[in-house]
Amino acid sequence: MEEVKVALDSETTQFIVVKLGDEQYGIDIKFVDNIVRMQHITRVPNVQEYLKGVINLRGEVIPVMSARLKMGLPADEYTKSTRIIILRLEQHGTIGIVVDEVKEVVTLDNRQIEKVSYDSKEEKDYFLFGIGKYEDGGLISLLDLNAVVLDKEGV
Amino acid sequence: MDVSQYLEIFLDETKEHLQSLNTEILNLEQDPENSDTINEIFRAAHSLKGMAGTMGYKRMQNLTHDMENVFSEVRNGAIKVKGNMIDILFQCLDALEEYLNTIQETGEEGTNDNEPLITLLNDVLDSKEGGVPKEEKKEKPKTGNGEEDNKKWLDIKFDDTQKRVISEATSQGKGIYGITVKVQEACILKAARAFLVFKALEEMGEVIISKPSVQDIEDERFDLDFSLIYISESPLETILKSVRSVSEIEDAQGALLEDVPVNGAVAAVESQSAVPEVVAEEKDNAPAADKPASQPAAVKPNEKKAPVSKPVVNRTVRVDIEKLDVLMNLVSELIIAKNSLVSASVGDRNNSVNEHIEYLESVTTNLHESVMKVRMVPIESVVNKFPRMIRDLSKKLDKKMELYMSGEETELDRTVVDEIGDPLMHLLRNAADHGLESGEVRKAKGKPSVGSIFLDAYQDGNNVVIEVRDDGAGINIEGVKGKAIDKGVITPEQGENMSDQEIINLLFHAGFSTSEVVSDVSGRGVGLDVVKSKIESLSGEVEVKSKIDVGSTWTIRLPLTLAIIQALMVDVGGEKYAISLGSIQTIEDIVPTDIKTVQNKEVIHLRGLVIPLIRLSEVLDIESKKNPEDNMTVVIVKKGDRQSGLVVDELMGQQEIVIKSLGKYITRCKVISGATILGDGEVALILDTNALF
Repeated sequence: MEEVKVALDSETTQFIVVKLGDEQYGIDIKFVDNIVRMQHITRVPNVQEYLKGVINLRGEVIPVMSARLKMGLPADEYTKSTRIIILRLEQHGTIGIVVDEVKEVVTLDNRQIEKVSYDSKEEKDYFLFGIGKYEDGGLISLLDLNAVVLDKEGV
Repeated sequence: MDVSQYLEIFLDETKEHLQSLNTEILNLEQDPENSDTINEIFRAAHSLKGMAGTMGYKRMQNLTHDMENVFSEVRNGAIKVKGNMIDILFQCLDALEEYLNTIQETGEEGTNDNEPLITLLNDVLDSKEGGVPKEEKKEKPKTGNGEEDNKKWLDIKFDDTQKRVISEATSQGKGIYGITVKVQEACILKAARAFLVFKALEEMGEVIISKPSVQDIEDERFDLDFSLIYISESPLETILKSVRSVSEIEDAQGALLEDVPVNGAVAAVESQSAVPEVVAEEKDNAPAADKPASQPAAVKPNEKKAPVSKPVVNRTVRVDIEKLDVLMNLVSELIIAKNSLVSASVGDRNNSVNEHIEYLESVTTNLHESVMKVRMVPIESVVNKFPRMIRDLSKKLDKKMELYMSGEETELDRTVVDEIGDPLMHLLRNAADHGLESGEVRKAKGKPSVGSIFLDAYQDGNNVVIEVRDDGAGINIEGVKGKAIDKGVITPEQGENMSDQEIINLLFHAGFSTSEVVSDVSGRGVGLDVVKSKIESLSGEVEVKSKIDVGSTWTIRLPLTLAIIQALMVDVGGEKYAISLGSIQTIEDIVPTDIKTVQNKEVIHLRGLVIPLIRLSEVLDIESKKNPEDNMTVVIVKKGDRQSGLVVDELMGQQEIVIKSLGKYITRCKVISGATILGDGEVALILDTNALF
């Protein structure tokens, strides 16, 4: 038993650190398919506000959503550093999310990740599965991507 | 033996055999004396048994074995075909299908032994009047086949190493066998069959030499037979039996080789074969007699295939749908490339660019067409099961009916064919259950007591039309209206104002079923609306016309292809949208003062028709950039008999577009059916005009 635990503890996960507003968020790199620059998004009428539309990614049509609008932050202002992160999720297929800036890739081992538990019913707008602690003491919020992408209004 | 890699082949072929059994047994019921039919049935049952055995599905094998026994007796004339026997056989087919489904889902055949069925089959067998021994028949083809043909192993020569292996084996007391295996002419995957034979053999011993070589056999470079030299401890009969149990193997012949001569040829000893020396001599003196028989045929196997006497077997090449999708995508990209060339050349008057474009255009169009053809399959595979279904329904409902089908060879996109089966089945069941009257009622009305259901398919321009027609009672319009009011689908006032056709269309409303009694044939109230939504999901439409006491006609109209369409590009509020050309009737220029209002809705009066107007800018939730006083561009689209006018800002021209799905994430937008990528890389949305009505 002891050995197993040690093995688990020393497992590491890589996160892409992105900026949304003033906060930094981490996205598990295993879900990231691609990061592309901001491009023209074709609006799709009559859909949820946070769904910005669709883009052409090398011949594939990919839906794009705004992480800001989904998480209740002020609407995006597209700048030179705005990026679309293309995620490949088992449940929802491929989807792009718009972020303000992509900062870096960090490697955290499991001891640096503090899982948060919450009552999902109460916290309808909660999108994190944990907090990551940097070695220099900085913190990043780790996004629970399924919660971000899930259409909670529809449920 | 690991046979999992052949599971798919097994499933496909079993389905084919089951289908042909279904069809042939139906024929047998009509014409019990037809020996061709009986032979075909026997062959299919035999192959089924062999295949199930090879794959290790013992229960399935047992059941088919007993069925085969029955067929064998029928073939020998020992039992006469009777109604209840046909019923039992159909039950067996259903049981087999069940096995097949279980296998498909789990890889196992399940635990249902189907004992009652086997007992029933054996009862049928016991009822025979004076049996004829089966063995007699089985022996016949063996002797009729000609001996030279079956003893090709005699041609095999050994090199020194092989001789050493053989002599070693002999000294260990193992038997050396020469075996010639003959594959059925109709066999599609000869290499796979040969592989199965080799697998079976390798379980009991060792194959030393084969002719043609193993490599050639794997590449399917052999005609209908191959020979091998084989070492095993098992007796010859066991070996041959295991070889013959591989399906589509016509025959396997073999003999024990008692000593291996050094001069190159092999001696064979079996009662009916020649003495060793003679064989060797024959081999040396007359190689021309033996060799041409095998060699030239092996080089050109196709020539020999041409005269095929066996019907039914589907001679299509199975292509992995994924591979087709890849091809499809390639074509899509080619078209996109073409489109970008087009947009690059706008404004540029360089003629050579235009020439290239024209060439590229013809290439892509041809490529598109040929790839589409690969994707097309006849609807036969779907409609084939319907005669059987109607027969069962006829018994269950106790109504006499006949199904007449035409146009089974009509081709449709593979994906559509896969999906169309259920809706068609619904319509047929409806026709049988609700449409046709019972025999007495029909007689009272002066109609023939046997009801008719027609299933007709044909191509009509860019569409394929499938019609389900019955000569039954027709739809009771007052009944439908009353029901709709009862169920709260419409109010009585609405009912007053509705046309007959509108009332009939209420049948497609969710939760609508007019059958007084819910039967297990139809009438759970989930029928027609499901049919409608299924067909619409395939970009098709369904219509119904009915006349009291004459019958009803259900018309399904489906597009030939789904992936690439001709579309009209329009501009609405600065955004580009595509409208499928297939649904566009005309394009009109309308002066705003021509717009009238009826019941608060805008309409235009066009050539004697009143057509409702739909302002796309409102539907699409965007500001129109046009001056409201200017003339309006109206695209008239049709859905069935109805028309609507879509107000757009501007027309941008016609284009061939590749349809891409919006993905499963965007589900809320009903008016958009998909997206496409334009020449400049921008995404344009495709309007689903059917959803606007």
